[in-house]
Amino acid sequence: MGKSLLIFGAIYLGALIFLSYSNRSSKSSSKDFFLAGSNIGSFLGLFTFAATLFSTFTILGMPDFFRVHGVGAWIFIAVSDLVMVFGILWFGYHLRTRVDKSSFMGMAGFMAAVYKARWVGYVMFATAFIFLIPYVAIQIRGVATFLDQAFPDSVPLWVWAVGLVAIMLLYSEIGGLKAIIYNDLLQGIMLMIVIWIIGIVCLDRMGGMSGMFDQVAAKEPALLSVPGPKGLFDFQFLFGSMVAICMIPFTQPQVSCRLVIMKDHKALGRTAMGLGIFAILVILPTMFIGMYGAFNYGDATPPEFLGNTLLKDQSGPIGALVLIGLIAAAISTADSQIFALGGETRSLLYGEDKKMMRKARYAIVVFALLSLGFALVSSDELVLLARASFAGTALLGPLVFFGLFKKDPSLFKALPLLTGICVLILVGANLGLYATKVAGLRLDLLLLGILTITSLIGAATTKGSQM
Amino acid sequence: MKDTIWKICCITVVVMAILTFTPVVTPVGKASPEVFGMPYTMWMGLLWTMLLVVITYIGTKVHPGFRDEQ
Repeated sequence: MGKSLLIFGAIYLGALIFLSYSNRSSKSSSKDFFLAGSNIGSFLGLFTFAATLFSTFTILGMPDFFRVHGVGAWIFIAVSDLVMVFGILWFGYHLRTRVDKSSFMGMAGFMAAVYKARWVGYVMFATAFIFLIPYVAIQIRGVATFLDQAFPDSVPLWVWAVGLVAIMLLYSEIGGLKAIIYNDLLQGIMLMIVIWIIGIVCLDRMGGMSGMFDQVAAKEPALLSVPGPKGLFDFQFLFGSMVAICMIPFTQPQVSCRLVIMKDHKALGRTAMGLGIFAILVILPTMFIGMYGAFNYGDATPPEFLGNTLLKDQSGPIGALVLIGLIAAAISTADSQIFALGGETRSLLYGEDKKMMRKARYAIVVFALLSLGFALVSSDELVLLARASFAGTALLGPLVFFGLFKKDPSLFKALPLLTGICVLILVGANLGLYATKVAGLRLDLLLLGILTITSLIGAATTKGSQM
Repeated sequence: MKDTIWKICCITVVVMAILTFTPVVTPVGKASPEVFGMPYTMWMGLLWTMLLVVITYIGTKVHPGFRDEQ
């Protein structure tokens, strides 16, 4: 595998450097650097959305989720993603018409403007920060752990993690969002190719679709229905996940900014459509890999299962492609998230553009270092940590939608205040300070319910609607 | 007419999202009937996602805001 890895690695790095350099921001304004000039067509839009959304979580997390919890994982992620895609079409239009493209720098700044209070922007930024940093960290940790397993006697895990962050920082800082978007194109294509190669190999070894499910049924029949062998996929988990995933385009800044920077509404529509197809195509092979793992490595730990299935059971060149694909998947999501936090920082800074941009670029480095630190101490539960991130930022949903649809959201500041309190409560629960369920109800769902009801009360009691 | 189709698309997606959590798509502990060897929740979930893609496609054609842009 060593020779193949060198060849594929060199090609990948070469392409990455070429794309970063050729698409670097020549003009040094915040608008160009953080928003790529706000003129993205549907083809680039599709791949940058896809590479940002589908990450290590997809290539490592989802096969393991299918292996451990069964076919309900399709409902958890694929059906939820497709509802989200329609949401992009439905509410993305309203976001695009409400924001002033000429002054939009990020969701935090936008919320501060519509609520006419800078502290509302800070609530938005702090929530994104709290829940995105761990998400970035698990991308880095997931791949670093995998690389550590692939090359056990080479370098320690932290060296892999530092290397990944260094690559990511380098091309983000050189090229800005435009370079990230072009690299997303490369990384999205790589992710799709790699996941299908492994998926087909696994499906073939299990004797096709029928053979695969027959063998899994003989070993663990509970994998073929909900709630799965461990009972994870109950109504609350699936419903809460769908709500949280549907909120992502409006509550996670790396996705929101991509909605805004699309060239026109039609480009956004075509992107949404393509994203739906991409989601099905990229998640389906993870099911094949997961079922293969359920049969062959049912009792293995996640790293053992992934190391065996994605590397040891594959030929050298395919194993090398998997490694490169994984690195691509991890950095394409992590860079967008870190970069978006930089953009959010910029949106809250007021002053001379060049000076503020420099501050925001320093902030990107700080966020990357924080993520690196968190990556070295976080757990290996990729999917569940990612879900915690979705659920956390989803609490911003009522705040964002109220800001979008209400003529003067500043008349109801109780909502942003309560949002901040709910975020703190959820953080406490995630830190293990108290239970994550209240009277049998998931705390994230309960808090989202409280915020939704509050926003509806606000809508009924304050004047003027945008709809 | 297009406005009506758009509203139907929105309502259909909301109804489909709700039905996802009912025995129509996710019956507890039930893997049959199978289609092409796939257990019920898997093929129904796959069908659900394909239908959602089709509705999204129709949505891009009839979305009131997109037509205004034309």
